[in-house]
Amino acid sequence: MDKDHHPAPNPALSNGVVSTIAARIDFFIGCFESFVLATAVLLMAANTIANVIGRFVFHSSLFFSEEVNRILIVMITFAGIGYAARHGRHIRMSAIYDALGWRVRKVMMIFITLFSALIMLVLCYFSIQYISKVATSGRILPALQIPVYWIYLWVPVGFFITAVQYLLTALKNLTQKDIYLSVSVLEGYEDSETEV
Amino acid sequence: MAGIIFLVMIVLLLLGFPMMIPLIVGAIVGFYEIFHGIGKMDFMVQQFMAGIRPASLIAVPMFIFAADIMTRGQSAGRLIEMVMRFIGHIKGGLAVSTATACTLFGAVSGSTQATVVAVGSPLRPRMLKAGYKDSFILALIINASDIAFLIPPSIGMIIYGVVSNTSISELFIAGIGPGLLILVLFSIYSVIYAYVYDVPVEPKASWSERLVAVRKAIWPLGFPVIIVGGIYGGVFSPTEAAAVCVLYALVLEVIVFRSLSLEDIYKTAKSTGLITGVVFILVAAGAAFSWVISFARIPQELLETVGVADMSQIGVLFVISISFFIGCMFVDPIVVILVLVPVFAPVVQSVGLDPVLVGTIITLQVAIGSATPPFGCDIFTAIAVFRKPYADVVRGTPPFVLILLCVAVLLIFFPQIALFFRDLAFS
Amino acid sequence: LFVTTVVMPMATRADTWRYAFEEAINEVQGVYASKFKEEIEKNSDHEVELYPYGTLGESADIMEQAQAGILQFVDQSPGFTGSLIPEAQVFFVPYLLPTDTKKLNKFFRTSKAIHRDFKKLYAKQGLELLTMFPEGEVAMTTKKPVHSPEDLNEVKFRVMTNPLLVEAYKAFGATPTPLPWGEVYGGLQTNIIQGQENPTSFIESTKLYEVTDNIIYAGHNNFTTAVMANQDFYNGLNKNDRKVIQNAAKTAFEYILTYQEGLEKEALKKIQAARPEIEVIVLSEQERKPFKAAAAQVEEKFIEMTGKSGQKILKQMKADLRGL
Ligand code: NA
Ligand code: NA
Repeated sequence: MDKDHHPAPNPALSNGVVSTIAARIDFFIGCFESFVLATAVLLMAANTIANVIGRFVFHSSLFFSEEVNRILIVMITFAGIGYAARHGRHIRMSAIYDALGWRVRKVMMIFITLFSALIMLVLCYFSIQYISKVATSGRILPALQIPVYWIYLWVPVGFFITAVQYLLTALKNLTQKDIYLSVSVLEGYEDSETEV
Repeated sequence: MAGIIFLVMIVLLLLGFPMMIPLIVGAIVGFYEIFHGIGKMDFMVQQFMAGIRPASLIAVPMFIFAADIMTRGQSAGRLIEMVMRFIGHIKGGLAVSTATACTLFGAVSGSTQATVVAVGSPLRPRMLKAGYKDSFILALIINASDIAFLIPPSIGMIIYGVVSNTSISELFIAGIGPGLLILVLFSIYSVIYAYVYDVPVEPKASWSERLVAVRKAIWPLGFPVIIVGGIYGGVFSPTEAAAVCVLYALVLEVIVFRSLSLEDIYKTAKSTGLITGVVFILVAAGAAFSWVISFARIPQELLETVGVADMSQIGVLFVISISFFIGCMFVDPIVVILVLVPVFAPVVQSVGLDPVLVGTIITLQVAIGSATPPFGCDIFTAIAVFRKPYADVVRGTPPFVLILLCVAVLLIFFPQIALFFRDLAFS
Repeated sequence: LFVTTVVMPMATRADTWRYAFEEAINEVQGVYASKFKEEIEKNSDHEVELYPYGTLGESADIMEQAQAGILQFVDQSPGFTGSLIPEAQVFFVPYLLPTDTKKLNKFFRTSKAIHRDFKKLYAKQGLELLTMFPEGEVAMTTKKPVHSPEDLNEVKFRVMTNPLLVEAYKAFGATPTPLPWGEVYGGLQTNIIQGQENPTSFIESTKLYEVTDNIIYAGHNNFTTAVMANQDFYNGLNKNDRKVIQNAAKTAFEYILTYQEGLEKEALKKIQAARPEIEVIVLSEQERKPFKAAAAQVEEKFIEMTGKSGQKILKQMKADLRGL
């Protein structure tokens, strides 16, 4: 079962022309994120295997292999956090929260998502600041000979997308009757057979 | 400062915030206090990057990917069915096999997180089917995976050896005794559990049935050959072994068994990426938080107040155990070792403790701490992979942690558990 | 922590300065840092906190922290500085530095390349170069004995991820294999790699001799490291404090040279005691010839990578060395 391989445009945004455009954009961001995730994982496997083959068949290591994996792991992590927020998959300790009444939970969830969005925006800002510092330092990756800051370019994007996801979830909780863990996921854990 | 940080973190944690938020806020408060404002906060991002930089972390997504392909396809099922033909009729046999598989895989792969996924994801459904309770299964997988810290090659021991100037070979041998002891105790507990909850057994398989099962598992038996043979045979590093497993799993499931389509593989890769992101953002945020703790010299200040300098050997061992246990509950084990070992080094020397024993005890505490709430990488990984709430994942852990703590205390009073093999090999 | 906020105008105020380095506290960089701390604290009201390897991040991290003024002092080896200051990789050109300790120490005391040219290059990165010092002759440890480049044929030799080091070991006939430091011990144990290089005392303290069978001295290099201060911090100090720092750096420099006398021999003795079957191979002048010949290729690569500026530094270093 794979209900979000072709996810429907975001229902939280689906009234009005502007919202329709926003929903479209959000839909494409989701597709793009999942594409980045899958591709980066596949490339990581290919790169690591190529290094083994290089060493054993051609007697020479791919000296840039480690640096390529560094780039990929950053991409996976920071594409992953946005995608995980979209699907309500971030780890939380919900024992106390679950014991609270419906109304309190609703208010709490709005507060949690708004606060999380704020923190993600703050980190987005600081990551841009950090990247520009690394960029001006002129540091380069020793093997690939490309600027180090290239590795980090996905970081602010990931934080920003995650912030947007949390904001949309807050919006959804404000406008809808149920409690939403993310734009598309209702509170309470999914059936464990459901894949992402 | 330490007080405020921990308070804020615990409150956010208990209120049900996504777990990265308490870690990040803890780091933000720390940076604010240390630098009197937000001026240097961009360095949090530097530490985020430092957290996910170690090349050995690559093994985690690779093993997740390989395990997921095997589980969605037929490889994992065939391997497990083969094992079941041999042990299915023994009470608690499946649980003991799972514990052993976790220990062996963890020992070889060097990554406890990878173990939770690679062994846990195929075996958990089978154990559920056999009638074990999920809380028991999850706790068994998490804790048995952590035995791997003690069995060589152990990255924790390598780091300890380098920082404390101790023979790594001796540490490796010293870890085996306590590691096996824990495995035996976990196995005993599993059998008792199976009897108490009367987990049903399967009828004993005939030798011809077993032969059929082995034949069906011939191809998938290549996985242990790749992992064990590849790593100990010097063909590749654990990280590379993980990637080669991905390739082998692809070949088996797509070409040999034809059980997965290329689209399935793409979906599996996506799911692997998501789980990796969920776990690694916590690793990254944890690194920023650790930096704050380390920079502000909080461990050093706390230990000064404890007055460890005037204690006896046993007292020092207890303080070391407790410090590492608490440290690893909140911070990445490697950082805890790097920060605390030099702090304890003078007192270890002055009371005349064997650094190999100290290293073994520290490694054991690191293992316990990594499987103990609130912050434990293996717990996070289990939550992310098995999609169970936090409380469910840790519900079954108390008996296991109790066993581990007993071994820790035993080790303090009977160091021979660790040193017997060492003395045998090095004298 | 809070000491820095107490501003006492007109009086000398006691600050806490932070100093991070790339090794453990009992290794050469740690010993230097400890002496430096001792000197500062003896001659001023300031305090120095030491942060050994890994406690604040890796080499590149602590360097950035020093550039940003989070740390006041940092020890980074020029090899790691290569991505920031390419010219610093000159210390990886084999057989450039002398093997004779007296000559070597004199070079580090007097070299114009270090005290003038490199000082300027570091200043461009916001760093005040305080000192450079040698950390010991680099030895290779391998599984099979090595007497010539032929013996390194098909040996997967672990090097730091640095293009010049890779070039050097290619020229020596090996298969350079970049492997992260954390995987070196395990990699040697399981034979993924069959060799690595480091100063003897480091091989002793990190126990790498447990997983290799030969120690080879080819005299090809001496591991160099550099200590620097954040420049804004340094320039913001009064004359007296700057003098205290300069004196501490000098005293620690002389101290570390004395400390290292016999250190290598002692480390080798410890290794031999712990592992009597290990074979120590010191290459003869004749045996070194083909290795020395290979060095020319590395020098070319260095110039290709660093252009005119690198060429200038190399020329100055050679002039400094001739003048010894
Ligand atoms: Na292990
Ligand atoms: Na923990």
